[in-house]
Amino acid sequence: MDATQDTDGSRTRSKRSQTVSLVLIAGAGAAALGLGSLDPSQREEDVLVYADAAACAAEAIRPAEECRSEYEQARAAYPTAAPRYASLTDCEGHHGPLHCRPGSEVSEQARDRFLPRMAGYMIGRRAAQGLAPQPVFDHAPRPGHAAAAAGHGGYCTGGGARIVTGSGGRASAARVQTASLRGTSFGGFGQTGRSFSAASHGTAHGSSGGG
Amino acid sequence: MRRVATGERPDWRATAQSHGFVFHTLDGAPYWDESHAYAFSLAEIEDGIEGPSGDLHALCLAFAGHAAEDERILARLAIPETAWDAIRTSWRRGDPSLYGRLDLAYGGTGPAKLLEYNADTPTALYETGVFQWLWLEAGLRDGRLPPGADQYNAVHERLIARFRAVAGPGLLAFSADAQAPEDRGTVAYLEDCAVQAGCRTAFADLPDLGLRPDDSLCTRTGEPIGTLFKLYPWEWAFRDVFGGAVGRSPTRFLEPPWKALLSNKGLLPCLWALEPGHPNLLPAYFEDDPRAAALGTSYARKPLFSREGANVSLVRDGAVLVARDGPYGAEGFIRQALADLPDFAGRRPLVGSWIVGDAPVGLCMREASGLVTGNDALFVPHFIEPG
Repeated sequence: MDATQDTDGSRTRSKRSQTVSLVLIAGAGAAALGLGSLDPSQREEDVLVYADAAACAAEAIRPAEECRSEYEQARAAYPTAAPRYASLTDCEGHHGPLHCRPGSEVSEQARDRFLPRMAGYMIGRRAAQGLAPQPVFDHAPRPGHAAAAAGHGGYCTGGGARIVTGSGGRASAARVQTASLRGTSFGGFGQTGRSFSAASHGTAHGSSGGG
Repeated sequence: MRRVATGERPDWRATAQSHGFVFHTLDGAPYWDESHAYAFSLAEIEDGIEGPSGDLHALCLAFAGHAAEDERILARLAIPETAWDAIRTSWRRGDPSLYGRLDLAYGGTGPAKLLEYNADTPTALYETGVFQWLWLEAGLRDGRLPPGADQYNAVHERLIARFRAVAGPGLLAFSADAQAPEDRGTVAYLEDCAVQAGCRTAFADLPDLGLRPDDSLCTRTGEPIGTLFKLYPWEWAFRDVFGGAVGRSPTRFLEPPWKALLSNKGLLPCLWALEPGHPNLLPAYFEDDPRAAALGTSYARKPLFSREGANVSLVRDGAVLVARDGPYGAEGFIRQALADLPDFAGRRPLVGSWIVGDAPVGLCMREASGLVTGNDALFVPHFIEPG
């Protein structure tokens, strides 16, 4: 605890950091920090992607009644499954022009954010896969890709995983990384804090209570 | 210890902006204030603050060790039973902690008194470690501070060293409410330190955290999180949907779950029971303990869980001096003997004494107009006068 025990010879009396430098924050502000995006290599599984229940029923792989109920489950999951972006530009950068909407249209928790519109939904190829129906989102076209020529970049999951579809990017049969789908749920941290910060008019600095 | 007028740098706001200190002013009200500063002697720093902080933290660790194994204490702290395993497991495994802030009443005379320990989610870290340090260096250059002035502030280099020492395998993710500028700024700073320590990092807004089937936390891309730093209190996290998975999760947490034993105001009566008469502790009791009568008609009343001074009231000679409102208090209250914050020209500074790992490393001064330091307090820099 005694600074004189410091091994550095040049400033043995100092009680402060010798140098302070920042690598991420400086110059840009904290807002410049983006979300990390890393691709885990995972097994894939077969899924079906449809724009809506009618498209599902028309293909007749699933009974029309299941199509309707699965579509409703995906719609119900949309407000928590959709990724959130700080700006319309960020959202459209990932999902393409005109594919995003203000979060205030979706839920109180998504206020001040931007969410991609639900482009369709995804179910397991077979009921035995036991995969929960979930919404899918348009992915911004990537230059040079076959699908991009048609103005479509394919789909992605709420977790950001690309959905690899068949010809033209619109076929219902697709493959997607197992880990990005199965059993992973989002939005399970933060609820209690929101109820408190709503009651105390927002978080503020200090976290203290002297007396 | 003196409060001295130093005069502010004319361009400090631009300097703040360029160093990422985007929350120097909050909701139109000032937060950083460098028109004056607190000056300490080296003895005040080392004997009055640094030494006692190390002792208090060590005492807290001793308490945590037996509280984790004693269900009566866990219940007394109003920690939900569903969280007990997570706390015990993290303690027995020796999960490392990153940092905390002891809040002390200290005015240069008499021993510092512990008001509470922000052991789980303290903020004011970036402004301590970086912007206060930059202020000192600038003051030495432009002559606002006397040559040879120093600062008790190794926060930045100790944080980097701590990340280097405790980094586990896999991704180190940082999470907070991204829409709260101060919280976002604090984790951005910690992420910066972690990157400098060689860690692979990512930021995830709280609602973007996922839970995988193996109970590991993950980012939106599905990548498992090896260690999650969360600027989100354990008492809230335990009550959330994912709270029940914490004890089984292969993900490690900063702060670890056992820090919930220290970030609770119930710590204060427990420490007093362990070491009655300790020079740096105030007498304190749970409100329903008959021994609380020993405090008489003068005491501070604090909820077990609260932040920014919410729901704290001060009673002197039976009269309520201050009563802060807020959403806390459902879990019960403690009473603690009054320790008036020192009075410097009508301002009331509170010493925040930083612990990184298990070592005291620096301080921040937050100055309020009254006896409860709330979210309207100003951050005022400090320096050590040349000997």
